[in-house]
Amino acid sequence: MTALLKTPSAWPRILLPDPEASDPTDLDAAVRAGAFDGLKTAVRAMTPGQIATTVGAAGLRGRGGAGFPTGAKWKAAAAAPGSTKYVVANGYGADPSVQTDRTLLELAPYAVLEGMALAAYAIGAGDAIVAIRADATEAIRRFEAAIAAAEDAGFIGSDVLETGWSLTVTVRPVQGAYMLGEETVLLKALEGKRGQPEQRPPHPSERGLFGRPTVVHNVQTLAAVPWIMRHGAEAYAAIGAKDSPGTILVQLRGPAGGGIAEVPLGTPLKAIVGLTAGGRRANTESDRPIKAVLVGGPSGGFLPTDLLDTPYDYDSLRAVDAHVGSGSIVVADDRACIVDLARLLTRFCADQACGKTIPCRIGTRRLSEVVDRIAVGTPKPTDATLAADLASDIRGSALCDHERLATLPATSAMRYFRAELDDHLLRSTCPAGVCHPIAVAVAGGAHRGA
Amino acid sequence: MSLIPGLGLARGMALTLRRFFEPKVTHLYPEIPAEISPKFRGRLQLLYDEYGTLKCETCFQCAQACPIECIDMGGEDTKGRFAVHWGASETYGERREESALRRSGRTVPDPAYEHFHEIDLAPVDAILDEVDHDPKEMLRILEAIQAAYGCVPVAALKRVSQTTGAWYAMLYGTATYYDHLAVGARDDGGPADVAFLDALDGALTGRSIGDGSAADA
Ligand SMILES: Cc1cc2nc3c(=O)[nH]c(=O)nc-3n(C[C@H](O)[C@H](O)[C@H](O)COP(=O)(O)O)c2cc1C
Ligand code: SF4
Ligand code: FES
Repeated sequence: MTALLKTPSAWPRILLPDPEASDPTDLDAAVRAGAFDGLKTAVRAMTPGQIATTVGAAGLRGRGGAGFPTGAKWKAAAAAPGSTKYVVANGYGADPSVQTDRTLLELAPYAVLEGMALAAYAIGAGDAIVAIRADATEAIRRFEAAIAAAEDAGFIGSDVLETGWSLTVTVRPVQGAYMLGEETVLLKALEGKRGQPEQRPPHPSERGLFGRPTVVHNVQTLAAVPWIMRHGAEAYAAIGAKDSPGTILVQLRGPAGGGIAEVPLGTPLKAIVGLTAGGRRANTESDRPIKAVLVGGPSGGFLPTDLLDTPYDYDSLRAVDAHVGSGSIVVADDRACIVDLARLLTRFCADQACGKTIPCRIGTRRLSEVVDRIAVGTPKPTDATLAADLASDIRGSALCDHERLATLPATSAMRYFRAELDDHLLRSTCPAGVCHPIAVAVAGGAHRGA
Repeated sequence: MSLIPGLGLARGMALTLRRFFEPKVTHLYPEIPAEISPKFRGRLQLLYDEYGTLKCETCFQCAQACPIECIDMGGEDTKGRFAVHWGASETYGERREESALRRSGRTVPDPAYEHFHEIDLAPVDAILDEVDHDPKEMLRILEAIQAAYGCVPVAALKRVSQTTGAWYAMLYGTATYYDHLAVGARDDGGPADVAFLDALDGALTGRSIGDGSAADA
């Protein structure tokens, strides 16, 4: 498990237990701390519609990356015709550099479970499935233990809290490529089909798992719901940014160390990056100046240091060509070359693209080739324009969000690091002395492999 | 040679003309199965895409479907990712004498295939003894092997297959399914995720990964 970073005491802890429980699967201890209080109130005193309204009033937005309003999703699924509906908790954690979701499942299984139950009650579902990455064996073990204990205590299972409503919760270990985290792909995987996305609309809330209305939520989104039920919508809406209330788990990675932290949305990036300052002292390399921050995971955007005051929330990040995405924040110092990084990420995104559509199969690959050419100092005269055009075509004709975002590393590098790009493009030099083979002539930097 | 000059040509053209006006149908394979002569001996071939990457995803659908078990997995592909092995270059007409297990270890003239490394099998045997050679304990066995060797060597998989009776293809499928199990040698880059993280850390500290980029991931 990745280390949890210490956050300022003024920052609220909603998702991660504070202090950490000695045994997160101990149901009695969890109930003493308030677990399932929200569910009790909900099933005894509230209508499903009221729950969705409360969650909507709290302003909760999906933590899976896109930030879609949760209440609206629930209302759509509740209104969709059909008696069989599903709740799917997305605990896949597609980004290889991010461990937040599995850490949450390990540390707060009951919060996720209660959130799933509340969502199921709100949309009228009888089945809830949590998809966890198969190699997160500890998270799977704990969640299965939590389900068994909660079933024994009557919080889930048949006749929930003696209301006559039944809820079956199952864990489905899934393993696959990056794309498996995307909701329509995940649903395909749960159906046992090939993992490729589907056209939306219809959204899963109308036609989801096995063609039934389904709400798919990131586990963090679900874990916030019990807190909202316990403390009220206003209390939640008061935390974080106005348009994106609440907290989110981020994963930091950089020369000054890394780890997971729960941060209120709207916190300036600078403050989040500063959380690794504790690691700074231990690391002699870390006094180097920060050059860029990559926000959003492999398909994230590079931000220059003068944008470090940007609030970390959905809309502010989108406005500067980055996104919340997987919750990953990678700090690069002056040793890194942005073009090299953009090449690595673009290549990763192209490799991971499923290939269902042509912009997916060919567009991302061509973009990766263009960035490759720029990095190795053999660009064609038109490559900069070509990359920009291609990126906008890919975005415009994309089937799924992956393609829309896969262009971000390249386009944000072009937008903010034009000087460094021009060095590669026009002068065939790499200022950081990283890029191969042109670096050999320039700085003879240390290379790994060849 | 026919007595009337041009008769052969006319016959040929007549056939062409007849075919030309015959109704054309596109069969919706696989809904409508193609009719294949019972004597058909198609050549099995792994296809590569335009980047020279093996298209096979080692999903084992073919291995599981093959009634005579001539398809199996046990090598390495060009990316060093999966171990893919076509039992033989031709489909077999009859079941071969050797077991599917042993066949899977045989070298075939496929440049993508490398023979597995020999290892000391004593730790594998100890692990197997502990679970009484029970194939149902597959994941436990594989995790213990990973812990003992730092990876799941192909030779170990073969030993497990031999002594538990579990089908090698199933074992291999299980081992490659889990990202925390690394099949093959540790220095082969490991699972794609690990390779990506290595590359990312490399790029952050100014070590470029060269032209191969994340393709080697
Ligand atoms: C390429 C790609 C990968 C994704 N990976 C994940 C993931 O690992 N976990 C996740 O919760 N959402 C992931 N998402 C977002 C999901 O598609 C979906 O929006 C989310 O699960 C919905 O939950 P939310 O409403 O709580 O955000 C991914 C999206 C894309 C395009
Ligand atoms: S394992 Fe067989 S069916 Fe699956 S992709 Fe490879 S060749 Fe095709
Ligand atoms: S990744 Fe293939 S369609 Fe989006």
